[in-house]
Amino acid sequence: MSKKTVWLLLSCAALQAQQPSTKNGEWPYYTADLKGTKYSPLDQINASNFSKLEVAWRFKTDNLGPRPEYKLEGTPLMVKGTLYTTGGTRRSVLSLDAKTGEVNWVYTLREGMRAAIAPRQLSGRGVSYWTDGKGDDRVVFVTTGYRLISLNAHTGQPISTFGKNGIVDLKEGMVTGTGQQIDLETGEAGLHATPLVVKDVIIVGSSFKEGMTVVTHNNTKGLVRAYDARTGKLLWTFNTIPRPGEFGNETWENGSWATNGNTGVWTQMTVDEDLGLVYLPVETPTSDFYGGERPGNNLFAESLVCVDLKTGKRKWHFQIVHHPIWDYDLSSAPILADINVGGKAIKAVALPSKESFLYVFDRITGQPVWPIEERPVPQSDVPGEKTAATQPFPTRPPAYGRQYLKIPDDLIDFTPEMRAQAKDAVARYRTGPMFLPPAVGDSNILGALTLGTASGGTNWPGAAYDPETHIAYAQANQSAVFPISLRTPPEGFSDIHYVMGRNGTEFRVSEGPGFGTAADAPQAQRRPARPAAPAAPAPTAPAPPAPAANAGALTVQGLSIVKPPYAVISAINLDRGDLQWQVPYGETPDVVRNHPALKGKDIANTGQGGSVGLVVTKTLVILGDSQVTTTPSHPRGAMLRAYDKATGKEVGAVLMPAPQSGSPMTYMVDGKQYIVVAVSGGAYSGEYIAYALPE
Amino acid sequence: MSTLRTRFRSSGAGFSLRGTLVPLVFAIALFAQSTRSVWDGVYTSDQATRGSALYAGTCASCHGTALTGGESAPPLAGGDFLSNWNGLTVGDLFERIRVSMPANRPGSLKREEDADVLAYMLSMNQFPPGKTELDHQTEALKQIRIEPKP
Repeated sequence: MSKKTVWLLLSCAALQAQQPSTKNGEWPYYTADLKGTKYSPLDQINASNFSKLEVAWRFKTDNLGPRPEYKLEGTPLMVKGTLYTTGGTRRSVLSLDAKTGEVNWVYTLREGMRAAIAPRQLSGRGVSYWTDGKGDDRVVFVTTGYRLISLNAHTGQPISTFGKNGIVDLKEGMVTGTGQQIDLETGEAGLHATPLVVKDVIIVGSSFKEGMTVVTHNNTKGLVRAYDARTGKLLWTFNTIPRPGEFGNETWENGSWATNGNTGVWTQMTVDEDLGLVYLPVETPTSDFYGGERPGNNLFAESLVCVDLKTGKRKWHFQIVHHPIWDYDLSSAPILADINVGGKAIKAVALPSKESFLYVFDRITGQPVWPIEERPVPQSDVPGEKTAATQPFPTRPPAYGRQYLKIPDDLIDFTPEMRAQAKDAVARYRTGPMFLPPAVGDSNILGALTLGTASGGTNWPGAAYDPETHIAYAQANQSAVFPISLRTPPEGFSDIHYVMGRNGTEFRVSEGPGFGTAADAPQAQRRPARPAAPAAPAPTAPAPPAPAANAGALTVQGLSIVKPPYAVISAINLDRGDLQWQVPYGETPDVVRNHPALKGKDIANTGQGGSVGLVVTKTLVILGDSQVTTTPSHPRGAMLRAYDKATGKEVGAVLMPAPQSGSPMTYMVDGKQYIVVAVSGGAYSGEYIAYALPE
Repeated sequence: MSTLRTRFRSSGAGFSLRGTLVPLVFAIALFAQSTRSVWDGVYTSDQATRGSALYAGTCASCHGTALTGGESAPPLAGGDFLSNWNGLTVGDLFERIRVSMPANRPGSLKREEDADVLAYMLSMNQFPPGKTELDHQTEALKQIRIEPKP
């Protein structure tokens, strides 16, 4: 080996050592590392002391905008003793001292109406970090108004040599139709997820408004782009709706690629730095529940796409749902897992999902690690809709959550009366297996009753993975009963034939989470062209709603129509492809515990619905409740809980003032381990809380 | 139900909790703060009727016609809703609405209108009407507890 080679190797090693890592007690990426694991090897906080955790510091985000935010979803990064995250209705960027929570700096861009009309509002999921290893350290994030900004990590000032004075306008290059540039102010595009920063590249996805009641199927087209981390120069673009001549264009039959949009990547992406491969989880095309304007399988909608890090060229893809019409999206960061199956080492990628399947592939070839079978599924009778004949079903690992509503087995059964009421309630819906297609709703059929579609299984907070034991951990919501009913939109409202709603009822526009709540609201909502029908008749006597009005209600005596557990946490062994354990998530909600009809009944932990993120450490799985409870063992609040990762047994808990609303993270500074979690909801506005052990 | 028995601390004023003493103290503290509950007929039918019309025009697009919520917003009636608000006061709920709702135009309703919408929400949660309208002063509303049926 020459002297020059040795020097080069040493330089590389030194550079590697300067790269932030969970090995140093840091948490340098939204998902802890580029592999999407949310794993930290720290173990100072463990089963023996978790319940002794104290609040080390807290940061209220109220004043980072003109009014408080009640949906704080960020996960901070920790690099070299400093936390970086977002907060507030203006999506400000924060630099905080990791030991005390003291503010180092705050960066805010006032974007006016551009932010107010943005499809993805509020503070988002956080920021990303880039360093050259020699002191040029930057924080990178996407604003509410869809601008990519690079800040000096030490001062919070924009990097003048990046883009234009620190800003790249991400709306430039976003198009509708066959290539019509969207308006930079009013055009629809945004993002909650943090950019993926790898080596000297920043990769950014795209997202749009909710697709339930769209005003046009010709919405902005999704794409994924890579930028030079130093200069902001565009490096490559991957069209998630392939153009003519590109692979998959023919899957948009009748040239429908040209007249449809969405199909962005709104969640976290992951990358194999060594292989130079990026994994893109692509969402639903326009619209969520009706695909009559886009016959065909619609690649790369709801596909896991592997592209080359340097060029953005497609290496392989797997479409999780053909011709998507259930709003399954691809919700979660793919997890890179080096596993051993039957004695064979496999570099795998595992995709958690709303479907509660963990789809596992060889991440180099795209071949399923265990067979994924195409099986026939029910077909749509909605005029103009042409459902795919088959859909992919993994044979291993088994589903880690409920995937459809089995009648009557999955209905509430605390008492025979409740079961009977539940059966009555679902009688006017269509029910059936997974991939039950949406139905036109009217006074006879109220819709197709699905479960585990739009809000089921694992959502944006994603899952976690222990690279030492090869076990993935996922929380799954299995009480998300979701009736999908279609109707014709009011004349002049949309060019699409069906939107969500029920014929014969007042038409209502459905807006997305947090829509309209940006700092610079107010703003106009999407409205039907015709004046809305008169308001629903007010009750003359506000006692229980009349039976007719309550018909089809999907609760029974105030309780979920499905039986518990309402959500579960699972440990999934990726060497064997099976479930190692599964336990209810959280604890029984007050509404069950205090229900008059259930007094004196011994009800096992029901868990609670909702979708939350988790952290895995050397010994624990850590995640917080999605609901507030008041029990004999704790005052009103939500619990941040620790589970033994080997068994699923709860081994400790600490009180939070409000539900966990962002995915937690952990780090160590000066020999002390901290856990930071974003809480908010109900009466409680956004707050980051740091927990640590007593001195 | 969890049988978790543990020790809680909060920043600054550390406190430890064991057994059943704390819920009792907690309940007494709450009772001292508020003397009425949502079960005491704290709004009128007329007020709920006014609130119903306001709700339909202002809130239903996100929270649903039957207050069942949707992908975009939480339910405002039923078990999950009450689970999240039990132990707080009508004043807390009023402030949440006043400060942040409707999402696309926060603060655009008058306080009296917020109170009407709140009356409608109480009616849809099966709380009984009474002879006096719900006040629109936060402090007065903070005297009314949200709690399960006694």
